[in-house]
Amino acid sequence: MAELSLDGVTKRFDDGGNDIIAVDEASLEIDDGEFLVLVGPSGCGKSTTLRMIAGLESVSSGTISLDGTVIDDRQPADRDIAMVFQSYALYPHMTVRENMSFGLEESTEMSDDEIRDQVESAAEMMGIEQLLDRTPSELSGGQQQRVALGRAIVRSPAVFLMDEPLSNLDAKLRSQMRTELQRMQEDLGVTTVYVTHDQTEAMTMGDRIAILDDGRLQQVATPLEAYHEPANRFVAGFIGEPSMNFFETTVEDERLVGENFDYPLSEETRADLGDATDVTLGVRPEDIELVDTNEGDGEHDFRTVVDVVEPVGSGNNVYLAFEGDESASELDMDESRTFVATIGGLRRIEAGQPAIARLPEDAIHLFDGETGEALHNRNLDDTETIEPQL
Amino acid sequence: MPSPDRTDVGRSIRSRLSDLRTRLVGDTGDDESPVRTDGGATVSRGSAGTGLSDRLRSLRNSRFVGSLPFWLPPFLLMGLFVYGAIGWNFLISLTDMEGFGDPDYSALDFQQYAELFGSEAFINAARNTFVLLVAFTVLCLVLGLVLAILLDRTLRLQNTFRLVYLLPFSLSFVVTAQLWAWMYDIDNGIINSVLSLGGLRPDWIGNPQLVLGAVIFALVWQFSGYAMVVFLAGLQAIPDEHFEAARIDGASTITMYWRVIIPQLRGSVISALVVLMIGALKAFDFLYALFGQYRPAAGADILATLMVREAYSNQHWAYGSAIAIVLYVLALLVVIPYLYSQYRRGAL
Repeated sequence: MAELSLDGVTKRFDDGGNDIIAVDEASLEIDDGEFLVLVGPSGCGKSTTLRMIAGLESVSSGTISLDGTVIDDRQPADRDIAMVFQSYALYPHMTVRENMSFGLEESTEMSDDEIRDQVESAAEMMGIEQLLDRTPSELSGGQQQRVALGRAIVRSPAVFLMDEPLSNLDAKLRSQMRTELQRMQEDLGVTTVYVTHDQTEAMTMGDRIAILDDGRLQQVATPLEAYHEPANRFVAGFIGEPSMNFFETTVEDERLVGENFDYPLSEETRADLGDATDVTLGVRPEDIELVDTNEGDGEHDFRTVVDVVEPVGSGNNVYLAFEGDESASELDMDESRTFVATIGGLRRIEAGQPAIARLPEDAIHLFDGETGEALHNRNLDDTETIEPQL
Repeated sequence: MPSPDRTDVGRSIRSRLSDLRTRLVGDTGDDESPVRTDGGATVSRGSAGTGLSDRLRSLRNSRFVGSLPFWLPPFLLMGLFVYGAIGWNFLISLTDMEGFGDPDYSALDFQQYAELFGSEAFINAARNTFVLLVAFTVLCLVLGLVLAILLDRTLRLQNTFRLVYLLPFSLSFVVTAQLWAWMYDIDNGIINSVLSLGGLRPDWIGNPQLVLGAVIFALVWQFSGYAMVVFLAGLQAIPDEHFEAARIDGASTITMYWRVIIPQLRGSVISALVVLMIGALKAFDFLYALFGQYRPAAGADILATLMVREAYSNQHWAYGSAIAIVLYVLALLVVIPYLYSQYRRGAL
């Protein structure tokens, strides 16, 4: 079927004499039928990568191949791909049927009858068969989205390329379409490259996710790998909501010394650090435990004051400041002074209340302070026991 | 959620709201009583005796009276000087007014029109007007579209080129007519200077077979920049994704423009079409400046020049008025479909 592979793909834009590198040596293997999500902040090069695969941008160096055939120099129409645009790009003067037929009319030798059959079956699959004779302006956003998908499906391409297709939908519809899109992709088994800036979409939809930052591929992994074993600090901070907490520390003997705390390390963990001196300690909000003020005196327990509580129903996001850290409670504090813990939704906690935060050693991530490389990731051996205990 | 629950909730909310209203305004009327929101609700409703003061107050409060100062002055000015003049012109066309003296309004008939449609000069001018209208408009649209597409493709950000093509449009008809008069000059014109290298010496302005074409060419040169700007604005409103989607769909450049892009320029085509056609109908000033008199060379007489010539040179006022009315009807034929299409799309 269709295996897509990118080998050292680079895109340079010429900006008045100085080159801007939008995508830097990206190499990726996408298996047949795989759903790969390209995710990253805006301007990271994810859309450019997708557009290079589509043939809408030229490749500065490196090769893109489909099933072993290099397709760099082919016209977009000859690449056996279909693309779904963020704005849907439906042709406003054509009916839904004409929109869906257009690609088949232009790129195949099919007869009108065959085209009609194919369009109708694709429309049925997307549940838009009753909309076929309307124009895009008569459709709601969700319906337009379906038509845009239908227009891609009808061509039965080897690869689907999707450029933030859900970002123009409202939240409710977006999560609904997310599931539907996944189901559709599974049914069709078509290799899909999906671009998004939304890490939730990336986590929930992708078979694997490729995280990009500043034109560089940071990590390609399954969603859970990226979540639990991030390759570097960027990935750790990008994946997960609320974001992982980071503390800048220096290594002193067997301890990490931060601005507000000392964090003793076990021998095992210490060994992972090697000779790094500046280390970033990372811990996910749900791994931080809030324990009773009279029982928390362990070496990984820290006295804190609750700064802000954000209830989200299923849980509470609690922003904590280290006790005695005066600057943390000032109004103009920057966010890095507080850190966030997620606790159960039924537990009541209020701003100003003292709390003991426990940062379990088997849940911490350590990153090199200079390069951001992961030196130590959390322990996954006994996943059961480190479930949040609140 | 089962639907009975929802209707119960709806009913209870509605009944609570109506309770509230009863308490607030003491109005127990049924739900369908119209709610006036225009501020006129306090007037006349429920007042049994409509005295003079009441009527005055209602007059003062009515929207119509209140808005009078805003639309009445321009309405009167337009009515008098535009539509009034057109009406008067029509009246004159029904008389036999010629030379000096006042028109005789006692015997009105369509004799001028009968004469007009029987006159060879009129038939000629009408044919020339039609040829000018169609050829000029079509050429301008096509040339403007091609220029706009080229500019849009290669120079999306450069405004200088746009200016180059638009510049002729900013010149006065009189200036460009003089310019073309020199260019077309049979002995010293630049066109014949070039053609004489090949032994050719066409009389662009004197030859009845050539003159209309020469006029159309000059007008197209002047107006195609306008058409280009209108199309360029339309093209730049089309998002890049439509071009890209068409490329991915496998359309060649030509089919992409033909099937995806140009159909989206419908609005631009209509706007440009109306302006160009009206421009062609009233091309009088260009011809007058090109020939320096009311009588253009044979073969280039259009309704506008015929009208002015009959009225002001020959003092056939009624006859000239009749031509003017014909021209006016032609302009209406151009404008009315445009206005109707705008009205149907809710843009009016």
